[in-house]
Order: sequence, then C-alpha cells, then structure tokens
Amino acid sequence: MSLASTTSTKAQPSPLARLFARQEVALLVCLVLVLAFFSVTVDNFFSVRNLTNVLGQASLPLIAGIGCAIVFISGEVDISIGSLLATIALPLIIIMNDTNSLLLGIGGALLFGLIIGVVNGYLTAYAGINSLIVTLGTMFIMRGGVYLYTGQRAIPDDASLDSFIALSDGRLFNVLPYSAVIAIVLLAVFAYMMQHRPFGRQIYAVGGNQEVARLAGYDVRRVKFICFIISALLATVAGIILAARVGSAQHTAGLNFEFQVVAATVLGGVSLAGGIGSLTGMALGVLILQFLSNGLRGLGLPTEWQLVITGMIIIAAVALDEAKRRRANGG
Amino acid sequence: MAIGPEWTEMSELTHASAPKRFIGGQLLGSSQLVLGVILAVLCIAISIAAPQFYSEANIIAILRQCALVLIVASGMTMLIITAEVDLSVGASLAFVGCIGMAVLNSTHSLALGMLAALAFAGGVGLFNGLVVTRLRVNSLIATIGTMMMLQGGVYLFTREAVQNHNQLASFTDLGAGYVGAVPVPVILAALIFVVAYVTLRFTTLGRYLYAVGANEKAVRLSGLRSERLKLFAFVVTGLCVGVAGMILSSLMNAGQPTAGRGFELTVIAAVILGGTSLLGGRGSLFGTLLGVLVLKVIDNGIIILGLNQDLQMVVPGVVIILATYLDIIRNRANVR
Repeated sequence: MSLASTTSTKAQPSPLARLFARQEVALLVCLVLVLAFFSVTVDNFFSVRNLTNVLGQASLPLIAGIGCAIVFISGEVDISIGSLLATIALPLIIIMNDTNSLLLGIGGALLFGLIIGVVNGYLTAYAGINSLIVTLGTMFIMRGGVYLYTGQRAIPDDASLDSFIALSDGRLFNVLPYSAVIAIVLLAVFAYMMQHRPFGRQIYAVGGNQEVARLAGYDVRRVKFICFIISALLATVAGIILAARVGSAQHTAGLNFEFQVVAATVLGGVSLAGGIGSLTGMALGVLILQFLSNGLRGLGLPTEWQLVITGMIIIAAVALDEAKRRRANGG
Repeated sequence: MAIGPEWTEMSELTHASAPKRFIGGQLLGSSQLVLGVILAVLCIAISIAAPQFYSEANIIAILRQCALVLIVASGMTMLIITAEVDLSVGASLAFVGCIGMAVLNSTHSLALGMLAALAFAGGVGLFNGLVVTRLRVNSLIATIGTMMMLQGGVYLFTREAVQNHNQLASFTDLGAGYVGAVPVPVILAALIFVVAYVTLRFTTLGRYLYAVGANEKAVRLSGLRSERLKLFAFVVTGLCVGVAGMILSSLMNAGQPTAGRGFELTVIAAVILGGTSLLGGRGSLFGTLLGVLVLKVIDNGIIILGLNQDLQMVVPGVVIILATYLDIIRNRANVR
C-alpha cells in the first residue's frame, strides 16, 4: 500500500477514504482477502504453480472480458461471445488440418471473427437494432450453425502443430502460461487505449451520454461499430486458445461463457448503463471469481457450490456498488 | 442529464397513455399484422410442402409445444413491459420440476406438490424482484446471478432426475391429459393467457404496468409505488414458471435438473418477436401469442419437412433480428 502513503502526503481531505472509494482499490482489497483466506485454508494454494495455473485459466475470460467491457462502456451489450468461441474454432482447426500452418489457421479464425463483429456492429450501430436482440440472435445463429456443420461431433486437430499445442501448455520462462502472457499484453494495450488515446475517450463519451457525444462531433455509430469488432476479435483470440487447450473444435465450446464474462465484468464495476468502469476493474473482477472458484475447489466444495456462491457474490457486489453510488449522489 | 433520452421517454409515455391512438395503431400497420402475415405464409408454405402439417395430431402437437412457452411468456411480457427482464426462468423451471416431484413423491398429493412448486417459483420471482427494486441491481445482472444460484442449487438438491414414484393419474393428466380433443396444458396456457391479457389490457393495474415501463419517474411522481408494480411483475413471472415447471415434469414423468437449458432465451425471443420493446412501456400479449406460434410453427415445420433439427436454433435467430429490423423500419416510416 505504498500508494496510500504517497497520496496522504498531499494533505487533502481524507485521502485514504477517497482512495478506498475508488472501485479498483476496493476490488484489489477483495482480491487480496480472497488470496489470503485460501492461502491459509488450502494447502498449496499460494504456490507459484497454482497461482500461474489460475492465471492461465483466467486468460480466456480476461481476453474476452476486454471486449465485453469496451462494448459495455460504449453503452451496448454483446452476449454472442460464447457461441463465437465455438464458431471460430471451425475455420481454425479445418484450415490447420488442411494446410499444416498455424498462421493461416489463425488468419482464417480472425477473418471469421471480423465478419461476425462487422455483422453485430452493423446491425446495432447502423441498422439501430437493440444490441441485446442482435447478439441474442447471432448467438442462436452461430451455435446452430456449428451444430449443423459438425453434426454435433468434435472436429479433432489432426495437424498437432507444436506451436499450436504450445498455446495451451507452453510457459514463458517455464513459469507463466503463454495464454496469460497474451492476456496481460492485450490488457495493457487496451487499457492504455481506453485511458490515454482519443478513441478510448470517445468510447467513454459515447457510452456516458450519446447525445452530448454526437453534439461534440463524435461519430457515435462508428465508435459503436468498432467496439463490436474489437469485442469479436478478442473473443476470437480467446476461442483460439480454448481450441488449443481442448485440441479440437467442440460444438459445445463456450456454452454459458458469455454469462461468466458478463458477470465478471459487472463485478469489476463496469456499468451496463455505459460510460462507467475500467479494464483494470474488469480484470480484477475476473481474477476474484477465478481465484474464488479455484480456492473453493481446493476446499473440496463441489462445483455446484461455486456456481451458487458466484451468483450470490455478483448480486451482492452490484448491490453494494449501487448503494455506494446512490450515497455519493446524495440519495 | 441528456435532453434526448428524457424527450423520448416522454413521447413513449404519451404513446402508452393514449388508449385511442394505441388501439387504432394496433389494428393497422402494427407488428402484429406483420407477424400474422408471416405466420399465415409459414403455415401455407409448410402445408403445401407437407400436407400432414394440417392433420389434427400435428396441430395438437404444435399447440402443446406452445403451451409451456406461452405460459412463461405471458408473465415475461408483463415484466418486459415494465422495462425489466428475467433470465433465471430456465434454471428455475428445472428446479421447480424437481421440487414439485419430490414433494409429490413424499406427500402423495398433487395439490401440495403444485403448492410447493408455486411457492418456490413465486419465491424466486420475489427474490429477483426485491433485488432489482430494493437493491437497485440491474435486472439482467440480478437474474444472471439467480440463474447461477439455481443452476448450482438444483444439482445440490438432486444429482439425478427425481423419478415419479406415485404415478398419480391427476398429475399425469397435467401434462398428457385431454379435455375433449384439447390437451390440458393448452387449456392451462389459454387460461393464464386470458387472465394476463385482460389484466394488461382492461385494468388500471395493466395501464400502470405500461406507465412504469415507459417512464418510471413520472409514475413515481404521480404517487404510484413503481417498485411494487415491478415486484408484482416479477412474482407473476415466477408463478408462471411454477405452473410450467409442473407441466414439464408431468410430461417427462420426472423432475429433470438439466431441463430448461436455453428456455429463457426462447421465451424472451418470443416476447421480443411479438413486438414488446426491451426498453419497456410498449408491447402486447397478443403479439407474444403470435411470437410463440411463429417460433413453434417453424420448429414443427423443420421436423415435418425432415430438415436438420439443428436449424431449430438458426432460424429463430434470423427471425428475431429480421422482425425487430422490420419494426424499426416501419417506425421510421411512421415518424415521417
């Protein structure tokens, strides 16, 4: 907590209280509490191996969460990402099986993801259809399409390229899984964009107040359109890592993934109303939920309890956040 | 805040509280008319390709399929009109079936089983409603939370299907019985639909539900308790799930913890297809009825024409987006 001491030297009114009023700090405290609790109660929880393993598992919701958070901040929602995970695995695996080239496979997957993002973005931003309906629709279409194409069978990865397998079990310096490295890099890049680049600020402006953003000369439609493309491309990256992990294109891949990501994003303080929240908050939300479920498993609780507890935590967190916001607004 | 949103809210309120224009608009050029035409074209096309579509057995099968969705969609329409949504209905449906069956097994009484199912499902609705209205949690998030809790909870309650030990005739009739030529679930669905329709259309309560969805602030300022109205809609949705859950477990002759996957999306799709706005304040139960029929006729057509059943997911997705887009185009034309 060196941050706290540096802020308090500025002698502003109750700087500690102001610091703790920040969403990210409150979340960080929660994360530390979760880590501390399970370090004491679960053997081997606080080991390099376990912590990096959890980071590897967290990489999927982290990567997809960036897109989810950006779309939320722009004032829309994207619930098609779970189906997208299953969809883009098809071109990836099929192209790799045909050409034995990881790059071509990834290129094909990204192209597919791009098309899906363009469709979602166009229908929402330019055709003016509610984004919940659009992405609900594309979610159905993609999942059904995958079922149709595969006949509800997994398509195995026959090429078994070393570079592709490394995506799932390779580790940087034999410590950090590559998937976690990818997640951290993407997170850093997009967090920088959201906070310090004009386009990031435009997204906040559009989500905060669309009318004002329009009057300020921003192209609201274009901003939203691009947000959906970003979301689809990031979900594609998550889908590629998932396909590497399971070694095939699974028709059931990513079922309920969208709810998991939405829950973590909202837990991280990103508002569904738009304009509020940060990628740091989203990342902390993802980590809290991942470490929580890992720790609960370590305690020997069945996975069902994890679902129940996660559900309760999400409701409680959003309720507390809402209460705080109302108090801050004076009622 | 913004000038834009406030202005649209106001205009939506005038829209909702001007019954004459509303009824007139409903007859001509409304989304119901488009849906009705779509439904008619679908029926004609399918029956030309496969004459057995019009057989009595098939029509009854379609109606029976519609019943479950329509029961829950009746409550959901009210809820979405108040500008809230409930994603937990699918998970709740499975849990309710298991609980109802368990109580039925231990008490040998259909009434008690039904009561337990309604109490549980109504309780879930009440919980959702309280979280949304008292704790001010966005209903999409709140009900995702409840969905997770129910999905986990049902497996903690039972790991495998709760089998029907008594084989009470009255319970079997709930799902598989007939009154004359009409299946019992269809009669129940029709009853619930009519009650909900009359409530929404001809009672003050119904008008208030529209008003809350269109402009909650104005409703509160005019002295109504907007929270209670929303709470009411949540509980009604829950109770509808209770009825549907019991019918489903009767049809399957067991309480299945895995039942109801994706059910919430089908219900919401039907409601949206019927022209009810997710922003609240606009929509009708008649539209929902047409929405349910269109989705289920498509489902049935896919089976009858011997097409790949996985199309049952693709086609509704296309239909929802298309229908909403048509609605937007028509609204734009009306404004001009």
